[in-house]
Amino acid sequence: MPKASKTCPVCESGNRIVDYKDERTLSRYITERGKILPSRLSGMCARHQRQLTRAVKRARHLALLPFIKGHGR
Amino acid sequence: MIRQYEVVYIFDSSLEEPQVNEHLDRFHELLKTPEHPEPITGMAHWGKRTLAYPIKKKEVGYYVVAHFETDTQLLNEFERAIKLNESVLRYLVVINEGLPADRLDLPAADDRADEDDDDLPRKDQKVAAQDAEEDDATESKKTDDAGADASGDEESE
Repeated sequence: MPKASKTCPVCESGNRIVDYKDERTLSRYITERGKILPSRLSGMCARHQRQLTRAVKRARHLALLPFIKGHGR
Repeated sequence: MIRQYEVVYIFDSSLEEPQVNEHLDRFHELLKTPEHPEPITGMAHWGKRTLAYPIKKKEVGYYVVAHFETDTQLLNEFERAIKLNESVLRYLVVINEGLPADRLDLPAADDRADEDDDDLPRKDQKVAAQDAEEDDATESKKTDDAGADASGDEESE
């Protein structure tokens, strides 16, 4: 789980957009059960936290991320 | 009104690439207008990937991403055609938020094999990576298994 840093990781990386197809990056911001990390833990600014939420939900729809990790396995 | 869109399809993995292309052509035909004969601005086949959860009892899907620009009026008919097509397990149409077409290609699923194995010894990670390289075409699930097996052996010794 990434520690909260003062600066938003997305702003810092220079990307302005959180991509729902980039499931490797998104997987850093979900818990081990697949829940979305709160901005308090993800360290994201409000804008990017909103983008993250939407991106994770889209990725779940496309079966890139699980709704519940470890469910039924 | 002309807008930029992005669509992701998940096809049944029992289809081969020519059949998938056939379906894609049929869908993309619906986006064409006399003013706009070439709606597709970018396309990438991710190929077969393991799904995060089963869809219609299938564990593997064939992913295709495409960028296109079309009239908003045509979109309903386009989505209807996809919905009615039985070989599309899932799809997503979203407005393209300005991501360039060259980012359509993602690192292949083989990178994912060593991501979960943070606490494994170095050696095993390399083994897993090698496996992933060798079995590029095979699905990532197999490479995951191979990595897990290797680690099990290592610990028992």
